[in-house]
Amino acid sequence: MYYDWTAEELALKQSVAALLTQDAVAELGLLEDAELRQLKRITSRYLKALSAVGYLEIAVGPVERGRLMQLVAGQEELAKASGSLFLAAETTARIFGGLLAGFGERSAVGDIIQAVMRGDVIAGVAMTESDENATEPRPTTAGVRDGTDWVVSGKKDYVTNAPIADWIAVVGAAEGRRAVFLVEPPQTGVTVGPRMQTLGFNGVAVSRLELDSVRVPQDRVIGPFVDEAPLDFLAAMQDLVLSLAAVGLQFRTTTEAKKHALTHHRDGKDVFRHQEVRFKLAEMLTWAQTSQLLTYRAAWLYATGDPEARTVLHCAKVFCAEGAEQVTAMAMQILAGRGYLSGNPVEQAYRDAKLTGIAGTTSERARMAIAADLLKRHQV
Amino acid sequence: MDFSLTEEQLMFREQVIKFARKEIVPRVQEHDLRSEFDFESWRKLGEFGLLGLHFPEELGGGGSDVITSVVAAEALGEAGVDGGLTLSLGAHTYLCADTIFVHGTDEQRKRYIPKLARGEWIGCMGLTEPSAGSDVASLRTRAVQQGDSWVLNGTKMFITNGPIADVAVIYARTGQSAGGQEGISAFIVEKGTPGFAVGRKLVKMGVRTSPTSELIFEDCVVPAENLLGQEGAGFFMAMRTVEWDRSALLAPFVGGLGYIIERCCRYAQERHQFGRPIASFQAIRHKIADVKICQEAARSLIYRIAWCKDQGRPLNHLEAAVAKLFVGDWSLKPMNDAMVLFGGYGYCHEYDMERIFRDSRIAPIGGGTSDIQKVLISRLM
Repeated sequence: MYYDWTAEELALKQSVAALLTQDAVAELGLLEDAELRQLKRITSRYLKALSAVGYLEIAVGPVERGRLMQLVAGQEELAKASGSLFLAAETTARIFGGLLAGFGERSAVGDIIQAVMRGDVIAGVAMTESDENATEPRPTTAGVRDGTDWVVSGKKDYVTNAPIADWIAVVGAAEGRRAVFLVEPPQTGVTVGPRMQTLGFNGVAVSRLELDSVRVPQDRVIGPFVDEAPLDFLAAMQDLVLSLAAVGLQFRTTTEAKKHALTHHRDGKDVFRHQEVRFKLAEMLTWAQTSQLLTYRAAWLYATGDPEARTVLHCAKVFCAEGAEQVTAMAMQILAGRGYLSGNPVEQAYRDAKLTGIAGTTSERARMAIAADLLKRHQV
Repeated sequence: MDFSLTEEQLMFREQVIKFARKEIVPRVQEHDLRSEFDFESWRKLGEFGLLGLHFPEELGGGGSDVITSVVAAEALGEAGVDGGLTLSLGAHTYLCADTIFVHGTDEQRKRYIPKLARGEWIGCMGLTEPSAGSDVASLRTRAVQQGDSWVLNGTKMFITNGPIADVAVIYARTGQSAGGQEGISAFIVEKGTPGFAVGRKLVKMGVRTSPTSELIFEDCVVPAENLLGQEGAGFFMAMRTVEWDRSALLAPFVGGLGYIIERCCRYAQERHQFGRPIASFQAIRHKIADVKICQEAARSLIYRIAWCKDQGRPLNHLEAAVAKLFVGDWSLKPMNDAMVLFGGYGYCHEYDMERIFRDSRIAPIGGGTSDIQKVLISRLM
């Protein structure tokens, strides 16, 4: 047992933290209101900066998961500073990049993986379909073999990064199994829908994606898969990333609420000196520290291949997401009217928090998966 | 970071679970119903080595580290040992014996630790008073030096193991000050010492197998050599036990959540309503999941305290308060849900969920209330 960062883990943590100066955080705040061109410019610049400190090349793909704790050390810093950049970067590196590195032919997709690690590209993964998500058995998006190419058609919803993506991995059906088709907007037949208006994480561009007889060469197809391992990997990575995003929100808002309580007065004394406010802050920090430790342990179990890893990761996902909603709500209560103003970090976090419970494995599905595992283990 | 337990710790955990299921758990319900301490289980805990795991072998202990002690405590909870017995163990081993071990002289260690580690004697600790609970520094029990002795006067309240203890570590004011942390000292007081009496036994909602009482000191004469540690260092000594309180004493609650998960899973598969096992209902599954989520969240908090103690790091009081607040407050809802999952049976003593629910209510109260933890956290954050 070792409850501290190793030198290697700490080094990445510090490198990422060093990037995120006060000015950088202020600039990243602009993401929330940025139009697409500006969004892409800022995101690309920070991806390159993250690449320069080694952030984008760590734990990309399941084979590299042994270095997950080092990555988590850095991820947490980024998530605390900018949830939007964090989601955009992780979707590109760990989810898109991880899928290619783990399940693609290195000779065919190695160039794309290298571009991801250099921070040269922004990428997304298209899984969800209307009224159906990717964990359902048969996505309607499908590819048909045509000579050495595949012809792919279908519609996808909620594709993170799509409006600014250089590459998108589209999960679909192929010969009765699952496969991933790599498309490169604005490739012929690929239509990226208008940017969706979302409640939170406004610094991440999300849209629909439509493929109409898109020709995808064989070397840009991963699969068809013989099992569900790639999708399980995607789901696990998403849940870990969203757990960390939720942890970041909790710490960020706890800090903001404490700062407010110490610098504002009510009834002739600091807001902080009111016991109800102090108690709220204590609860917020308890949520944050507990979420943080639970996520660390879930990541470590996943990194070490522990059989219980997926269940504990589901636990972390539910706990962190619900903690984020609780903590941001308490923070807004402490900031009162000021926290309700658009543009306030607490108001933003309050909106952002909701996504962590509904993206990836929803809290309801995660609870069902946890219970299924426990019932199986304690079968009568 | 690394959250692994060693092979030895994992094996020991299994041994403790097996031992407790065979030797202790079968008697838990009857003792709870009668609100009786289980002396037979106590003797067996001593024989197995669980009453003094971390003490050196030459003093009758097991020579274990703190993490192993937490592993054992968690395993007792996981096996289904009641909160009363584990509370008695905690008060005995960590609040009494460990204080003597850490702050005592060689003579005091040799006299008390072997007997306490083997379970031949039972220990308790007296800090709380009728009007000094969370505000420990306002304690009024006084000790006045008279020649080669100290004379104690005062009353202690809510003393775990009070009615059955052979030896007690008692905190009393020795300085001139009437309040505050200064001038508090610790004394070892043996059963039978003139002027030392056990007051009324308290009837409690839960943890009933752990007897609780007042301790009364009326001109109780204690030999000078029974002063424990430095005169005036008592408050600091009492605070030193917080490390154990937030790790090994919380561990049975965390393990207990594992026991509840097993009980709920089995019951939910056996119990049929509307023509199918209740485990097939989503609401039931969510309740079971919530217990697991709480257990996993709590586990790392208590092991972090244990690991830091093993590393010789000073206690991080913020992290300790977070652990206590979380286990105390966050576990209440899943505990309640688990009882409700059993329906009417959960409300009856025939099924142990009723007892477990009552036992769990001590978590946000004993060893520093949740409100006090919030005060501490907000002060330290």
